[in-house]
Amino acid sequence: MEITFAVLLWGVRIAFMVVLYLFLIRAFGALQRSLASETQLAARPLGIAFLVVQKSVRGAPRVGDRLPLRAVNAIGRDAGNDVVVNDEAASARHALVEFADGEWWVEDAGSTNGTLVNGATVRSRERLQYGDELGIGRVALRLEQ
Amino acid sequence: MRQAQVAVPIGRARFTELSLLVWVALLAVLGFIAVVAAETSTFAVAAILVPSVFILLVLSLHVFLIARRFRGDQLLMPIAAGLTAIGLVLVQRLASDLLLQQLSWTIIAGGAFAATILIPRDLTALARFKWTWAFLGVLLLVAPLFPVIGREINGARIWIKVGPGSIEPWEAVKLLMVVFFAAYLEEYREVLSHSQRRLGPFPVPPIPYLVPIVAMWGIAMLVMVFEKDIGATVLFFGIFLAMLFLATGEAFYALLGLALLLVGGFVAYQLFGHVQARVDTWLRPFDDELRFGTGYQLVQGLYALANGGLFGAGLGNGMPDRIPVVWSDFVFDAFAEETGLAGAIALLAFYLLFLYRGMLIALRAPTPFLQLLAAGLSFIIALQTLVIVGGNARLIPLTGITLPFVAYGGSSLVTNWMLVALLLRVSEVSNRMRGGP
Repeated sequence: MEITFAVLLWGVRIAFMVVLYLFLIRAFGALQRSLASETQLAARPLGIAFLVVQKSVRGAPRVGDRLPLRAVNAIGRDAGNDVVVNDEAASARHALVEFADGEWWVEDAGSTNGTLVNGATVRSRERLQYGDELGIGRVALRLEQ
Repeated sequence: MRQAQVAVPIGRARFTELSLLVWVALLAVLGFIAVVAAETSTFAVAAILVPSVFILLVLSLHVFLIARRFRGDQLLMPIAAGLTAIGLVLVQRLASDLLLQQLSWTIIAGGAFAATILIPRDLTALARFKWTWAFLGVLLLVAPLFPVIGREINGARIWIKVGPGSIEPWEAVKLLMVVFFAAYLEEYREVLSHSQRRLGPFPVPPIPYLVPIVAMWGIAMLVMVFEKDIGATVLFFGIFLAMLFLATGEAFYALLGLALLLVGGFVAYQLFGHVQARVDTWLRPFDDELRFGTGYQLVQGLYALANGGLFGAGLGNGMPDRIPVVWSDFVFDAFAEETGLAGAIALLAFYLLFLYRGMLIALRAPTPFLQLLAAGLSFIIALQTLVIVGGNARLIPLTGITLPFVAYGGSSLVTNWMLVALLLRVSEVSNRMRGGP
């Protein structure tokens, strides 16, 4: 078959469509992979450290319970949190406790009543030592190894 | 926030982004070759000049992110770049005299993207100035109404004069409003969602907290009445309702808002000619008195869609120029005519990817503010696509919203690239906190 201008032009048009779909396949593939690694991250073993309940209210975890922590933990009233504190005085998403740079950190996640560390309100992001007492609503939790 | 920087000598590689950008580059080059060859009946090297500039721009943004050791998302930038490439191909196809202008806007958009990556040093601090954003937004929104700076184009008074050209302030308002809503809702979502007083299944929050809903409704209606911009009204109110629902989880607010919008729309239909014309054109564009009048554009668009068939007429081979103002209002129909259903679905898949990725970023974000911000930003793109593609396909009344990244228009391109940068910033915060990629 003679390769004419028209044939070449159709070749380019078809190539355009093929590339359009190849990009989409690659992009969906990348999305899939990042979702998979996300799931892996979430499935990391629990229990690097624990929050031990010191003081509690009805419906919230009972005094003495050891709540296991991950590398990053959302604390709040919603069921979707890593540590659920079912107290009306706690916000839906109350605080974040995470392990970074070899240390534990706590950060308030815009809660209504604030987050306390050893009785003092957390301003921005503060370091947590083992033995520190974290106040979320009316519940007190102590960080332990 | 204190973070240990792991010392990487050159930067932080972004392989996923790079590999996707290679496909985008190929897409731009092939698209331009096809369109230019179809128009001039020969293959000329000059055809790849514009795509080369575009590829250089995108690669320099990529290198910029690497040099910054940026840890944010690697998918969104290539998706936006792919859409922008399709947009440039379509401007070359539909209005080649506007190409250089659009290319300059693309470069400015790239600069705005880089600036947004650099400048707000702490994203969360944006929340502290929420009333400033709200004030600025309202100011920009009403600016076109003032006699000297305002300008009416194609029946909509949504432009302000800047030097020789004019810009659409509404585009910037979108971003300001999402930042404001996210900050406002983060602060008051508790009050709005956990009200003790209930009327049957519905929460009845204290009256002061209902004020923003009613105020938003009022402002949206004002835009519809005075600026004659139905698209902006729907978008503005739609974003607000979506974010309110996301923040509170109360379907009641969404239903109340929709009811308010319907009531407002009905009253506007009764009172204002321009609203009536839009709806009539939508319902019966083929009527004798509309077919060659206000319905002409829509009818030509529908013929173009039908002409496209499954695989289209081929890039550069259709007749999209029979649609008036096709480069800004009807790019979706033009693309569908030349690439068919196959191309149209691929285009929509780009937006689907964008929305999906944006919502994932929102889910991963560490604070309610960042979550709402990411969700609201992604939702802008989704809602805009829905409203304009629905309008082009005659599923809903046609409005003057732009197809994000693709349609001709500078203000929209620049703000949409800033939006992408903000989403990347949110994903960077989560990645840093979680130790992800």
